[in-house]
Amino acid sequence: MTTTAVSTTAARIGAQPHVVVIGAGIAGLTAALRLRRAGARVTQVTKGLGGIQLSQGTIDILGYTPDRVSRPLDAIDDYAAAHPAHPYAKIGSDAVRQGVAFLRDVAGEEFLVGDGEENVNLPTAVGAVRPTALIPPSMTAGVLHDGLKVVIIGIAQLKDFHPMLVAQNLERTVLPDGGRVQARAVMTDFEPRPNEFDASGLTFARALDDPKTRRTFAEGLKGFVNEGEAVGLPAVLGLDDHQAAIAEISSIIGAPVFEISSLPPCVPGMRLNEKLVTTVKTERVEFILGSKVIGRTAADGKITSVTVGVAGHKREIACDAVILAAGGFESGALRLDSHGTVHDTVLDLPVKLPEGIDADTLTHEDYWGKPQPLFEVGVDVDSSMKVIKDGVPVFDNVYAAGGVLAGATRWQDKTGEGIALGSAVKAADAVLAGLPVAAPAAQTAERN
Amino acid sequence: MGVIEETFAGHEVSRASLDNCVKCTICETVCPVAKANPLFTGPKYNGPQAERFRDGASVDHSLEWCDFCGICTLNCPQGVKIAELNEQAAAKMKAQNGVPLRDRIIPETNMEGMLLSPIAPVANWALGIRPLRVAIEKVIKIHRDAPMPTAHTETLAKWLKHRKKADVKATKGPVVFFQGCAGGYFETETSKKSIEVLEHLGYEVFVPKQSCCGLAKQSNGLFKGATKDILNLCDNLLKFDNELPVVSSSGSCIGMVKHEAHEIMGVDDPRLENVSVRSRDFCEFIMEEYRAGRIDPSEFREIDLTVPYHQPCQVKSQGMGFPAIDMMELIPGVKVVESNEPCCGIAGTYGLKAERYDTAQKIGKGVFEHMQNYNEGVGVCDTETCRWQIAKSSGVKIVHPVWLMHHALGLSDNLLK
Repeated sequence: MTTTAVSTTAARIGAQPHVVVIGAGIAGLTAALRLRRAGARVTQVTKGLGGIQLSQGTIDILGYTPDRVSRPLDAIDDYAAAHPAHPYAKIGSDAVRQGVAFLRDVAGEEFLVGDGEENVNLPTAVGAVRPTALIPPSMTAGVLHDGLKVVIIGIAQLKDFHPMLVAQNLERTVLPDGGRVQARAVMTDFEPRPNEFDASGLTFARALDDPKTRRTFAEGLKGFVNEGEAVGLPAVLGLDDHQAAIAEISSIIGAPVFEISSLPPCVPGMRLNEKLVTTVKTERVEFILGSKVIGRTAADGKITSVTVGVAGHKREIACDAVILAAGGFESGALRLDSHGTVHDTVLDLPVKLPEGIDADTLTHEDYWGKPQPLFEVGVDVDSSMKVIKDGVPVFDNVYAAGGVLAGATRWQDKTGEGIALGSAVKAADAVLAGLPVAAPAAQTAERN
Repeated sequence: MGVIEETFAGHEVSRASLDNCVKCTICETVCPVAKANPLFTGPKYNGPQAERFRDGASVDHSLEWCDFCGICTLNCPQGVKIAELNEQAAAKMKAQNGVPLRDRIIPETNMEGMLLSPIAPVANWALGIRPLRVAIEKVIKIHRDAPMPTAHTETLAKWLKHRKKADVKATKGPVVFFQGCAGGYFETETSKKSIEVLEHLGYEVFVPKQSCCGLAKQSNGLFKGATKDILNLCDNLLKFDNELPVVSSSGSCIGMVKHEAHEIMGVDDPRLENVSVRSRDFCEFIMEEYRAGRIDPSEFREIDLTVPYHQPCQVKSQGMGFPAIDMMELIPGVKVVESNEPCCGIAGTYGLKAERYDTAQKIGKGVFEHMQNYNEGVGVCDTETCRWQIAKSSGVKIVHPVWLMHHALGLSDNLLK
């Protein structure tokens, strides 16, 4: 036996800097992993599971300016110049490009294909045509182009997916670059488990992880498919054994098969989330799930520790830097009180309202009109993602990434994942640049 | 349809959280029971959704499948007390419909220990006899294949009286060791190792008179008895001292003390508050001490070993990350592979019950396979009943993380004994 073996924990806890990342969505997980891979000690605190599995499993970078964008990474800088309040004005296209490359590297080609240079068109669960940049391999056969023939197959027991709606909407749509697809619909009947007649996509996905079940399922679909058609199915083709499931189903049917994302629980989003969370845990980011950040201590213009409410007591985590990646209103990280004031509920950082907007004009009453100004409220950052107020850093070591950033209506311009990835990379790199990574010390006291 | 008058003190707090539910389905995706059994309609339906319709009475029997692992609450990004609502509603349903004899017998863990320990060889022999187990299954519906604890004639209390104390100076101050019923009567080896490790590291360990925390009663819906038990335990500990750290290698019992009694049953008592805030899981305590620079890692000798590890649901729900992994990997050469699974299926006493057994085995399947796939002779898990369940169903020897620590400190020659 040698005496050279190292203690993994001693090396990890001895590493510097120690960064606390709050939140575990795409921004938090990306930032945590990037820091960890660069040698930092990372403690990730998240109140619950992040939002990736509520998403469609695709990566949006820039979809509309409002014109449809075909080369999203190339379009970022012009879009940012025209929208100086948008997070992209601080992030810039280089960081988004790096973020996309980093994520693709972490996830691998089993989870994401594409390089973000070009948008593709995917059918949505209502048969709309949606631009997005990186997609799971299971969706490639469904990329819409002129002359594509598809049969959309639904399952009666899965109430969140309606093949007629998808097919008829696709049929009547002229694609953004011209041309049409031919689409027809078939409804089938399949119980994921005996006597289960109202199941979620997740239940189907788990059932199709079983080789015997998926063979029965695929055999039953064979007769519905015409020569030359690609087969569009709800995104339920396996969860843990997805690769084998889609390959086998496609081979039995004898046609290319593609998935269409539907309501949460959205299986492609779950697959990606599982992959990222498992990677973060395996690479020994200290992953604290189910506990909230309930306080912070500041000294000399820095946050020196965050307080986490674990079961029964408070845990004080001393840190060199903090990245706030807890999301926006949807996760509860931002909250509008009854006086019309918006709060960051995690670190109580100041928030920025859109230009010319005050508490009384945060929302307007034109329901179908312009996006509500409230949507653009968030924390303001400089170009290193350091949180600022009126141009001045609030703390020297506090950064923000993802949905908490002010200035975007992400679901409209389709920039959500691009902002998350670009800001995560910028924040992580800024932390590393400001606080050099030190070789693991043998023992470091008082670094709780 | 009588409306039950009795409400639990914690109920209104849990109810207040249900409006936070945005129906995102995250709880549904992580629930191990809904995955294993279609008769359980899932945490979202049973929790925040059904709760809106419960005006006192609890009527939806699908709730009876819930194993109260708490994975839903743990993963909920909106802070909804899903598991708590479900456990309260299930307790209410039992209050309405009556509690089966079995569910009143199983939670008497302290009594079982006291009765079985003196006749340990007979008890162990009897529980190994198939026809007798079949008879037990028929009469009180404990499944014939469910894991049973092994009784020992030497309880922890007896061992403490006659053991030879280590010759190490206590330089790091005193701690109180909370053994738990299983740690006192059935799996005494883990308690002994914990005490020896703490002493070797320089802590003075006190094991004052103590009693059951009431966790098993709570999970069987017997809130009154469980409340009495937890406060009785607090009284016992407070009689000894009111400020020392309370350290336990019974991962679920310490969770009961830390937060479950308060959050599930609404026990709001200064005695519990005093004990809960100073309670620590064994590995959590070691890691706190390590991070504070009070433990020297060069004391640990190398163990060249990869171990599969499962963190029990009731340890997960304490929201403290993975202190067991961190602690084991303080030992040079140790590599831990986490199961990434929610629950082993036993969930305290759930998996013992005849009608739950198959579901429990399905819930734990991923954990059993993990242990089988990655073990080099041993697997690790923090709580007693989970270890018994996983060992029985996987065939792999399963130990508490402290066993590795004990070996790395040179206190045992054989890691497995």
